[in-house]
Amino acid sequence: MAARTEGVPVVPGDVLTVEGLSTSIRLRKSAVDVVKGVDLRLRPGETLGLVGESGSGKSMTGLSIMGLLPPGGHIAAGSIKLDGRELVGLPERQYQKVRGNEIAMVFQDPMTSLNPTKTIGEQVAEPIRLHLGATPKQARERALDMLALVGIARPAERMGNYPHQLSGGLRQRVMIAMALSCEPKVLIADEPTTALDVTVQAQVLRLLHDLKDRLGMAMLLITHDMGVIARWADRVSVMYAGGMVESATTDRLFAGMRHPYTQALLACTPRLTQRRESALFSIPGSPPDLEHPPAGCRFAARCAHATDRCEREAPALTEPAPGHTLACWHPVEGPLEPAARPVEAAPKAADDQAGPVLVADGLVKEYGTGRLSLRRSARAVNAVSGVSFAVRPGQTFGLVGESGCGKSTLARMIVALEKPTSGSVTALGGALGELRGRDLRRHRRNLQMMFQDSLDALDPRMRVGAILREPFEAQGIGTAAEQLAAIRELLDEVGLPHSALERYPHEFSGGQRQRIALARALALNPRVIVADEPVSALDVSVRSQVLNLMKRLQATHDLTYVVISHDLTVVRYIADIVGVMYLGKLVEVGSADDVYLRAVHPYTAGLIAAIPEPDPGAAEPAGGLDIGSELPSPLDPPSGCRFRTRCPRAQARCAEEEPVLLGFGPGHSAACHFPLREPQPAVPAG
Amino acid sequence: MTDTAPPQQVTSGWRLAVRSFAQNRLAVAGVGIIVLLILFCFAGPLLYVTEQVAVDPVNSLLPPGGDYPLGTDAQGFDVLGRIMRGGQASLQIGLFAALIATAIGTLYGTIAGLIGGVVDGIMMRLVDTLLSIPFLFIVLIAATQFSSTVLSLSLILGAFSWLGPARLVRAEVLSLRSRGFVAAATVMGATKPRIIVRHLIPNALGVVIVNITFQVADAIIAVSLLGFLGFGLNYPDVEWGTQLSDGVSHLFEGAWWLIYPVGGCLVLVVMAFNFVGDALRDSIDVRLRRR
Amino acid sequence: MTQYVLRRLVTSVIVVLGVSVITFMLLHGMSGSPGRAILGVQASAEAVAAFDREHGYDRSLIAQYLAYLGQLLQGDLGHSYKLNQSVNALLADNAGRTAMLAGVSLVLAVCVAVPLGVFQAVKRNSVGDNVLTTLTFVAYSMPVFLLAMLLIQVFALGLGILPAQASQSSSTFVIFTEPRAMLLPVLTLTGITVALYSRYQRSAALDQLAQDYIRVARAKGLSMRMVLTRHLLRNACLPLVTLIGMTIPLLLAGNLVVESVFNYPGLGLLFFNSLNNQDYPVLLGYTLVASVLTVLGNLLADLVVAVSDPRTQRA
Repeated sequence: MAARTEGVPVVPGDVLTVEGLSTSIRLRKSAVDVVKGVDLRLRPGETLGLVGESGSGKSMTGLSIMGLLPPGGHIAAGSIKLDGRELVGLPERQYQKVRGNEIAMVFQDPMTSLNPTKTIGEQVAEPIRLHLGATPKQARERALDMLALVGIARPAERMGNYPHQLSGGLRQRVMIAMALSCEPKVLIADEPTTALDVTVQAQVLRLLHDLKDRLGMAMLLITHDMGVIARWADRVSVMYAGGMVESATTDRLFAGMRHPYTQALLACTPRLTQRRESALFSIPGSPPDLEHPPAGCRFAARCAHATDRCEREAPALTEPAPGHTLACWHPVEGPLEPAARPVEAAPKAADDQAGPVLVADGLVKEYGTGRLSLRRSARAVNAVSGVSFAVRPGQTFGLVGESGCGKSTLARMIVALEKPTSGSVTALGGALGELRGRDLRRHRRNLQMMFQDSLDALDPRMRVGAILREPFEAQGIGTAAEQLAAIRELLDEVGLPHSALERYPHEFSGGQRQRIALARALALNPRVIVADEPVSALDVSVRSQVLNLMKRLQATHDLTYVVISHDLTVVRYIADIVGVMYLGKLVEVGSADDVYLRAVHPYTAGLIAAIPEPDPGAAEPAGGLDIGSELPSPLDPPSGCRFRTRCPRAQARCAEEEPVLLGFGPGHSAACHFPLREPQPAVPAG
Repeated sequence: MTDTAPPQQVTSGWRLAVRSFAQNRLAVAGVGIIVLLILFCFAGPLLYVTEQVAVDPVNSLLPPGGDYPLGTDAQGFDVLGRIMRGGQASLQIGLFAALIATAIGTLYGTIAGLIGGVVDGIMMRLVDTLLSIPFLFIVLIAATQFSSTVLSLSLILGAFSWLGPARLVRAEVLSLRSRGFVAAATVMGATKPRIIVRHLIPNALGVVIVNITFQVADAIIAVSLLGFLGFGLNYPDVEWGTQLSDGVSHLFEGAWWLIYPVGGCLVLVVMAFNFVGDALRDSIDVRLRRR
Repeated sequence: MTQYVLRRLVTSVIVVLGVSVITFMLLHGMSGSPGRAILGVQASAEAVAAFDREHGYDRSLIAQYLAYLGQLLQGDLGHSYKLNQSVNALLADNAGRTAMLAGVSLVLAVCVAVPLGVFQAVKRNSVGDNVLTTLTFVAYSMPVFLLAMLLIQVFALGLGILPAQASQSSSTFVIFTEPRAMLLPVLTLTGITVALYSRYQRSAALDQLAQDYIRVARAKGLSMRMVLTRHLLRNACLPLVTLIGMTIPLLLAGNLVVESVFNYPGLGLLFFNSLNNQDYPVLLGYTLVASVLTVLGNLLADLVVAVSDPRTQRA
């Protein structure tokens, strides 16, 4: 059952009301309305989810309430009332008494949100001394209590630590302790878990939820993730391009949304239950440039239901049903049917008989920790320690794992950007480690790569034409005219206009740049493309466009993919075979259905359970799969099974003996002493 | 329908940089000052002809006015003409020294950054060593060895001021090497020389150009210090430092016109180069940061 | 931490050795035959050769360098034949006064530059910031001697309230005993140094202001002033510590010029006079000392940063 508060207690009055809030930021020449006409009501004890893509103004709404707008930002209109007291225009001196005391905020990135040169204790005690007038000793004691309250083990010891000594998850707990230390009435949590791994994310959100109940405060949960909203919010407000488009209780919004944007946003959110045969829903185009906002409805340009009126007149917020507000001329009724939207070209079934096109055999990569070490026994980091797998032609091999598990290093070794310390990669029959110079360069044609940060991967000083021409020039293929013809064809394939040739990468949106990167990877007509987090920098509506494109091109070009992602839903959609990595090791491999539906490794099961489904009715994950604490340091991996320190099933044997991959079915294997199912000894591992 | 709407306007990297540069009024003023001063020093003597070789004791230390808009100095040279002549030398030395320093530094830093490893370590320790020897000291000692000419002063200053650019360029090369587009080029089979020519050099160029302007400013100050301490050009040649040094001895006699006009020019031109350098650096950052 | 200190110590020693090689080569290359330099142009070739042989100047370069290094290790910087005094004694005589002038100016400059830079960063692009930026730009673009001359013109010649020359007293503490006579040199050096540091401090403070933790501190309810003093100041000053270490050569150069302009008897004036006498043992002796000082300054700055920044302590 959803963890949301059951039956919001009837409390007279809202603790926070925001009415007609408009915030604008002055730029050099113009002013941009980053928030326009936002209404919010927050009752004590409830969680209001504020959802939207990047640039929707959701964070600016939070900062407006805190009175902490960036330079040049100011509230142009509207009112913000805390317990009936107007905050807009409150003198700075009085606002300071509100911040951290009555309204507190938790920010996105815990890695940079703490002062690196002050101890945790000092930083948590600071608001307590400031607002509650505590003595240093009292403040210390309260800080200690707060750290214990947010579930930090050995809080007394942590008090003396500096931020860099703590992991991201712990730092976010410290941030929460700091924010709650004065028991605020309202907590604004701005993407509190976006920077964290998925297993840690679930823990932090549960903590926030429990503390909210315990302290009886109201929480404004700002996020882009419909899954997080579905599981943790009581009510939801949806923002688009600075404006509020729809607001309702969570159940109502997910089951009976009226705004086309809400409908589309939910439809393009990938799910674990996503059918791989059908294309992901995607919203065409990209959000408007707020420096030149459209006159009418800001979503009109991307809306399937838009009419002339939508482009002329901006719809006002109306209340079609009690507690359900909406700004739309042509409302829809409820979610899109998950109708079969077949991939534009059906993927060919992978040829099971053909030999593998790509084989990784016992790959190991070690990095020295320091260049010049006086001690001989300098510790080496095992980024990747012994990974083997094989990919057949036409297949997609998906590699998932949390940050720091070595998946990016693995990707770089596969395309021979880095030399393995030991082990080998064989692509199309050629052992990459044995090829040199010209032979290696020639062989690279078959093996291309897509990078996560498309802006970093495209030379900022080259026009797109030159960027796409580069692979041909590097390989000495074709005359200038032939190259140009090929480039135009590539642009057509990835759906970009030919006028793109004359432009520079920074002029394109993230999704468009990833299309350019895909076109470049395709240029040499490779057999294998390794994609390292190809969509993780993209908003959800654009993400599905790129994923669909990748899938379509795979079918038309007979491509083999290795897709690396921390996002299990992405891999679920695109991969045939899935490998799960943990601390440099492959702990489970199998077909997508094997891994997602019949996981045998406790880590895999825990990862899947931690993903919040964008469905308020989704069952809470069964107990016993909660993954404890956090990733151990790769400098010093645990003995035996590396996962044992977080595993709910770990026993003494796990510390002593390293598990090997055992077969659990055809092509399904996992490395665990105490798997969730018994292995099938008859089936060889592999 | 997909996310394929073409961007609204074409803005090339350099054009964007130029636009952001032009928006910086100080920088535009800086360019103006530099152009005007160059015209003043190099074209000025064609229009305003003065005797700058034969001394004229009769007309020494005349205050401004009459035939001498900025007065005369102790040798009876017209100060306005003297500033033009001194400016030629100061600007030339500043520019030459900056170019020499940047050329050596860029080459050195690029090599260190590209080779890396032990060679890089040794090369950078050498830079550390040279950087810990005070620049002015070593330059003054070197200057005692040569008779001062525009060329020798440029060489001396250039030879000892390439260390900063070397460090800067090395850091830039190292950071560029780890960029995604270099990895992408490697994956598509580009050779190392190709990556250097197509990616590293064009991207490192901005840093180098910015550095040249700061180097010019620094070199003009340095040569004025040499001149002031008595190691500038020899009679009848002159640069601004020597001119100021000559003026000091008459400061107590109230001959202010020997100091302020030339001092003003010196500060103005150095400031102009610093303005331009700052604005260039910002505009290059803008181009790379605009996301 | 210990490892870091050890590593920094080793590199510092290597750099100092490198410096000694360079000063030796300069000494050797510049003064040519020391015998000729000392005995003068009139001396016969035989006499010069005999002198060189007697003092070991005819040995191989490596042997001579090792002898020079051995000498240095014993703390002997050589002998000034022009002044017929040991370089050690010459430097020791003047070091106190120079240290006092440079030290007082540096402390004053830091005391001014830090608040100035932070103020400009907080009020960035305001009228006050622009005025201060312009002023520091002018001072930064001005050779030291020009600032000195301006100050002399105004305070000594114009207003006539301060002497144009520094005190000639041999006391180390002349700055405190005759403050009026030392005000102009101190002001000049401070002004130039402030221009150098405040620009840097402004951008360091701007960098810190843009950090998330500043916003978090504001969200806790701290006033801007508390944010500045409790959170920003320390982090924004760490880069300045490194900068001070790195700019020691510039400070010494400024000191040299100021001492020459104001005729203040210190190491700078000694160096200036030795330049005109081509007294290379003194010139290179001071250069070597200044280089070692720079290396030590850098080392000290790095250690201070390492100690005050907990992030560097894990190694």
